[in-house]
Amino acid sequence: MAMQQGGILVFSEDPGVIGELLTVGRELGGQAGTGVTVVASGEDAGERAEEARARGADGVLLVHAEAPVQNGVEADVEVLREAIRTATPKVILLGATSVGLELAARVAQEIGVPCASDCMSLRIDADGGLEVERRVYGGRFIVRQVISGTPKIATVQPKRFAMAEKINNDLSCDVTEITVKIGTPRVHLVSVSERARSQVDITKADVIIAAGRGIKRIEDLEMMEKLANLLEGVVAGSRPLTGDVDWLPVDRRIGLSGQTVKPNLYIACGISGQIEHIVGIKDSRTVVAINNDPKAPIHMESDYSIIGDLYEIVPALIAACERTHTQ
Amino acid sequence: MNILVCIKFIVDPNQLQADEATGKPDFQRASYRINNWDEQAIEAALQLAAQHGGKVVAISLIKTPPPKELILTALAMGLDSVYLVKDEAGLAADAFRIASVLAAAAGTIAERESIDGWDVVLCGEASVDDYNGQVGPRLGTALDLPIITYATRLDLSGNRLTADRAVEERLETVETDLPALITVGMEINDPRRPTVIQIMGAGGKPTVELDISELNGFDGSVFSAEASIRDIEIAAQPSIRKQQVVEGDSPAEIVEELLNRLGAAGEVAF
Repeated sequence: MAMQQGGILVFSEDPGVIGELLTVGRELGGQAGTGVTVVASGEDAGERAEEARARGADGVLLVHAEAPVQNGVEADVEVLREAIRTATPKVILLGATSVGLELAARVAQEIGVPCASDCMSLRIDADGGLEVERRVYGGRFIVRQVISGTPKIATVQPKRFAMAEKINNDLSCDVTEITVKIGTPRVHLVSVSERARSQVDITKADVIIAAGRGIKRIEDLEMMEKLANLLEGVVAGSRPLTGDVDWLPVDRRIGLSGQTVKPNLYIACGISGQIEHIVGIKDSRTVVAINNDPKAPIHMESDYSIIGDLYEIVPALIAACERTHTQ
Repeated sequence: MNILVCIKFIVDPNQLQADEATGKPDFQRASYRINNWDEQAIEAALQLAAQHGGKVVAISLIKTPPPKELILTALAMGLDSVYLVKDEAGLAADAFRIASVLAAAAGTIAERESIDGWDVVLCGEASVDDYNGQVGPRLGTALDLPIITYATRLDLSGNRLTADRAVEERLETVETDLPALITVGMEINDPRRPTVIQIMGAGGKPTVELDISELNGFDGSVFSAEASIRDIEIAAQPSIRKQQVVEGDSPAEIVEELLNRLGAAGEVAF
């Protein structure tokens, strides 16, 4: 059967994100009266194709990539370019992951069209435009934009949408196989290592003790752990502590480049409150800030501010919690 | 070695307030700054130039003139010159157009500087106002350069650039030959902070203004009116925070007061 043209094309390097994009894609497809095609590529392309079919994709582009060496985003650019050529989509959805943002930008530039980054809502408007909402100025403002022209490219905020549910009936799903010959990359991958991960899912934590640049030494995180244990919470951190120095595993990072959390109580210790971080704590019920700089933006984003030295306040907080526990 | 750094003068999101009547951003009262990660790009460029020699030139595409002090700050960090490409009509309205204009400007500036081309083009990974994260990779595409995004370390040996990069939950080491385009984030360095005296003294360095119409080989009419992205509405997300300062004569007292308030509000049961 011929590949359906002019529909919605979904691409992500991350299988979980593909599931989320299918949710968005099926919604948009319903509004636009078109189907959703998922690009299944990578070593597990077959599994991805099956997964996409089960989650309600109307079509799958099953990619056989012939690559000379292990390849990174340059191969993804080539695969996506070929997928677009084959499917001639009206709308292209990618995940707003680090890789997804780069990939969308590169492909959109090749085609000569704009692209909306990190969208939190998407719909097809009456004129067939793609209307999106995005966070700007560090999440202080939401902008509503409309993309016109063809194709319309958008990256979708990860974890904003649930994965499309498995339908598991015999819905028809066109599988089109394409072979993409990948060129020799210009940027060579020398080595890859997984960053340390923790066993803790901070997005599910009820209490979070967050550490920032105000923490002077890695040993001082013990104090944070102690407080977290007393409050039955977890320790997380801002980007400086999870990247600049690797004092905390990267999956404990809160913010634009990390996780969005929604605890009942969030205590920011030595965090200045840069926009990068604040975006990730908006859904917290109560925010407490401990920072010795009265001008730190975190105080504007807190319910209760303590303008003081965290090396005095945190031990006092630990002592108070210990007293309560022994009573 | 010649390095071009792309910088953006932005409204500081930390200082930007909503107009109470309209809920829209109040740009009149806002202060401006050099985009955070562009400062890191400048610093990375200066460090490369310090080791390998060469010129470091910054380019900024502007609709209205940025505060003079910010240009002087950039120069005082150690840039050789700053080029301001003026787009008063707002032609470069989206990231596709911005990257296309910057690509044309890169060639024009190289010619004005009497150099063959740029060995390294550096960008911040995103600007913290729009947070598109597109211009760097788009510019690399427009200039047909190898692209290394999210670099956390750069090491140059001859013509071979090695970079560490942080992507999702991986750390990669990658290599490429120059010329190349690199984007950097906050991990790569701590940008130098010029003193007031250095900033005042930077007035002698060249700031060159170019109009978008003066760029070689650039024709604004190639931008399709059809393929566009335009704003319909911008609205504040009001702060839901109480913004109460908790005080006391000692850390113990402050903490007690905090626990009282948390308990009283029923927010946390201790």
